[in-house]
Amino acid sequence: MVLNVIRKFNWAINTLTSLFSTNVIFKVGICELPFHPISSEVVGGVGGTCVIRGCVPKKILVYGATFGPEIQDSREYGWQVSENVDFDWKKLLQKKTEEIVRLNGVYKRLLSNAGVKLFEGEGRIVGPNEVEVIQLDGTKLSYTAKHILIATGSRAQRPDIPGQELGITSDEALSLDELPKRVVILGGGYIAVEFASIWRGMGSTVNLCFRRELPLRGFDDEMRALVARNLEGRGIILHPQTTLTQLVKTEDGIKVTTDHGEELMADAVLFATGRIPNSKRLNLQAVGVEVDKTGAVKVDEFSRTNVPSVWAIGDVTNRMNLTPVALMEGTLFAKTVFGNEPSKPDYSNIPCAVFCIPPLSVVGLSEEQAIEQADGDILVFTSGFNPMKNSISGRQEKTLMKLIVSAETDKVLGASMCGPDAAEIMQIKVKVWCVRPRLGS
Amino acid sequence: MATSLTTTTPKLTSSLSQTLISKHKFTLFNRSLSLLPSFNPSKQTLTYHTRILKPPARRYVTRAESSTNGGAEPKSYDFDLFTIGAGSGGVRASRFAANFGANVAVCELPFATISSETTGGVGGTCVLRGCVPKKLLVYASKYSHEFEESAGFGWSYNSEPTHDWGTLMANKNAELQRLTGIYKNILSNAGVKLIEGRGKIVDPHTVNVDGKLYTARNILVSVGGRPFIPDIPGSEHVIDSDAALDLPSKPTKIAIVGGGYIAVEFAGIFNGLQSEVHVFIRQKQVLRGFDDEVRDFVAEQMSLKGIEFHTEESPQAVIKSADGSFSLKTNKGTTEGFSHVMFATGRKPNTKNLGLETVGVKLDKNGAILVDEYSRTSVPSIWAVGDVTDRMNLTPVALMEGGALAKTLFANEPTKPDFSAVPSAVFSQPPIGQVGLSEQQAIEAYDDIDVYTANFRPLKATLSGLPDRVFMKLIVSAKTDQVVGLHMCGEDSAEVVQGFAVAIKAGLTKAQFDSTVGVHPTSAEEFVTMRTPTRKIRNSSSGGKTDSEAKAAAGV
Repeated sequence: MVLNVIRKFNWAINTLTSLFSTNVIFKVGICELPFHPISSEVVGGVGGTCVIRGCVPKKILVYGATFGPEIQDSREYGWQVSENVDFDWKKLLQKKTEEIVRLNGVYKRLLSNAGVKLFEGEGRIVGPNEVEVIQLDGTKLSYTAKHILIATGSRAQRPDIPGQELGITSDEALSLDELPKRVVILGGGYIAVEFASIWRGMGSTVNLCFRRELPLRGFDDEMRALVARNLEGRGIILHPQTTLTQLVKTEDGIKVTTDHGEELMADAVLFATGRIPNSKRLNLQAVGVEVDKTGAVKVDEFSRTNVPSVWAIGDVTNRMNLTPVALMEGTLFAKTVFGNEPSKPDYSNIPCAVFCIPPLSVVGLSEEQAIEQADGDILVFTSGFNPMKNSISGRQEKTLMKLIVSAETDKVLGASMCGPDAAEIMQIKVKVWCVRPRLGS
Repeated sequence: MATSLTTTTPKLTSSLSQTLISKHKFTLFNRSLSLLPSFNPSKQTLTYHTRILKPPARRYVTRAESSTNGGAEPKSYDFDLFTIGAGSGGVRASRFAANFGANVAVCELPFATISSETTGGVGGTCVLRGCVPKKLLVYASKYSHEFEESAGFGWSYNSEPTHDWGTLMANKNAELQRLTGIYKNILSNAGVKLIEGRGKIVDPHTVNVDGKLYTARNILVSVGGRPFIPDIPGSEHVIDSDAALDLPSKPTKIAIVGGGYIAVEFAGIFNGLQSEVHVFIRQKQVLRGFDDEVRDFVAEQMSLKGIEFHTEESPQAVIKSADGSFSLKTNKGTTEGFSHVMFATGRKPNTKNLGLETVGVKLDKNGAILVDEYSRTSVPSIWAVGDVTDRMNLTPVALMEGGALAKTLFANEPTKPDFSAVPSAVFSQPPIGQVGLSEQQAIEAYDDIDVYTANFRPLKATLSGLPDRVFMKLIVSAKTDQVVGLHMCGEDSAEVVQGFAVAIKAGLTKAQFDSTVGVHPTSAEEFVTMRTPTRKIRNSSSGGKTDSEAKAAAGV
């Protein structure tokens, strides 16, 4: 997977470099803040959110957390494991940091191998064809460019409640010094749910508070309900239709108050209440690049902003905030602008996964979306079963798989799965409409 | 054979509001979408209604086969279908036939973990002494690797985990009992009569089960296969896969003779459970018939886990020593000190003593029952599915063959099982998943192919520090851009390949693969991001099949 991410990035770079062979040389410069695991106005790092404080470290922590329950399950398979199984958070985080530092180095080499000039510092737009880079020592460098690409991503939000400075976001969560023994998480999205599973797998007490009845709004309702059941089955305490009103520091930790008046004690409080585009300091207004009310840079189907020489891709445009989608947008931008092949990213049937334990993965329409959007009747096929591995381990945790099919055309409109290995399984190609009789052959 | 059916059925969709949905909770193995054409043996079906509802039970009044009865009066039989063997193929055919309204019986030997002339069990090889117990043992054995991996993720143990074989066997056997009970329920819920005993065919419409005679319009033979051990000196000391799945104690040092999937899976199992494992194969590589690069890769990964391979060695004798240990003598020498010697040297169809020769059912030289595309034997009223026909010996294929037969016989819809693009897996450690052609097969079938490969260290291994790697391969027909073969060896391969098998079966192209956005972070996403061919093989340019010249020119 790691190599794959790099290779995909590499391919985007290679697309540019392959153009060199056609006797047209494109000069590319890129600027990025200096590396740090926790992002801020002044630090970031080559590789970005995915590599440094998102997908990669998250998956490492999920792997780490999964071992705990697996060790429990091994006993019914005949394994005699000592009662005391220790988990060393510091060791895991140290290895995580080594890995993201290594990847950061790999990304830098990818850029230099492709002949892309890397500037370290904060970039801002000065004119439609001019960029300014403020280096670490404060000196400003100016560059002109035929095209400017904004790919500054997004940052975690904090709620505006008393004591919010006592809480952390996912950036800090991925770099804590100690394993928090008691955790309160505010949020119902994939980040909240993933961190709940991570810390619970490592043995912490986890309270998950979210505004709606179920977590993971936007996903298939039946799947959301199963994810909630699974989280509870693993010992996570759910607080639906709940938000936090204040945090207070005490001797015993952080005292968290909910809007139901309940008080919870925590060693860490994670705010996973959303991420917003990172466009404030780019000086966009000086050039007239339009943003929406969340700060997302507005772009057309080719990722071009309202200023013809300025483009934007990835989380800063807030379209579909997934790494493979950003890679697609970046690749097609390069093709459009430098490959003479105008290409629009296609957002249909993009699979994605939530790495709670066990994970959820979906592609295409949920049942609710299909009811709304499909012409005519739909058929819903489900299969719920206790996976074979659990039959011996005794774990009571059902897997659910679901297909949504158009009754008229027999096309598979959507597929989802919640269970072990769901993410690996759902890379299934629903991108091209497959007629269902093939599925049943 | 079957009569025409005159029941009409309601259409599924009605003229109610636009937002009507029909929600039917099917299990994925129990769809009964059936098409009801008027049956004409020589023509394809013309018009049909689709329907979801279960058909009403029908009694089939038969016309006797003209070939055996010369236009005699219609005869009534005890059963429409009598199945010998309640394994994957037999249960599927019987159950679906009963769902279509047929009157069905199935006979099966009494349950035992080890099969013999007198023991078997409902569920068959897959459930009792194949796929299921095998997978449970693979799960059990994988934990040792997971304990090792977990160290890199911060986990530590006061003492090294040890394994108790007895606990595993007891829990495994409890699970098998539970499953055989479920299969019995499945049969009885479908209205299939289960008869315990050994079935033997007496004539084209009669089966003898332990002395009692039953007549049937159709007989299905689905008795599966059994392990084959060559007759060499000392073969009485050798265990087969049946016994290996139910040993009284764990091997300390085991010799596994064989290079197929069973040998390779058991090597991984015993190695994971901390036995010393030696694998003896006749060829240079394991897994003959699989893609050559995959064969090399899996052997390398297995060697890194401590399994020792002895290649190009053929077994000649097994000798028992005074201390109770065994030695294995091959053409290259003798290796001593084994607590167990296991032969995984093939399986043969279980066709002895069934009365087949007497009734005229033709067999091939291995004892497999010869069948046509509809699974019919040389005797018109006798059919065969599953391992006994030795076509593709996989449970889902037996299920397909059984389901197709039920449709042919009782749904008025002659159906040929389709053996193209059948995915399969080997649960070695690491496991293999594959669908479509190997590179060697693709070179033979297509003139020009492009081969894409990836060989990488997965994220987990960068932290565990273990030498685990993943190998993935796509084979594309250069002319049509169709993906004709897909192979993976590494963690989760079997799960990954299932989804891609749909794509291969649908004949999707490399461009369509590439247009699919990845799921991140996974290993599977590698399949949709392979940009540059590792090699291109061009045979068509050289005006004939001068393969080596063309390959050299292509830089292969």
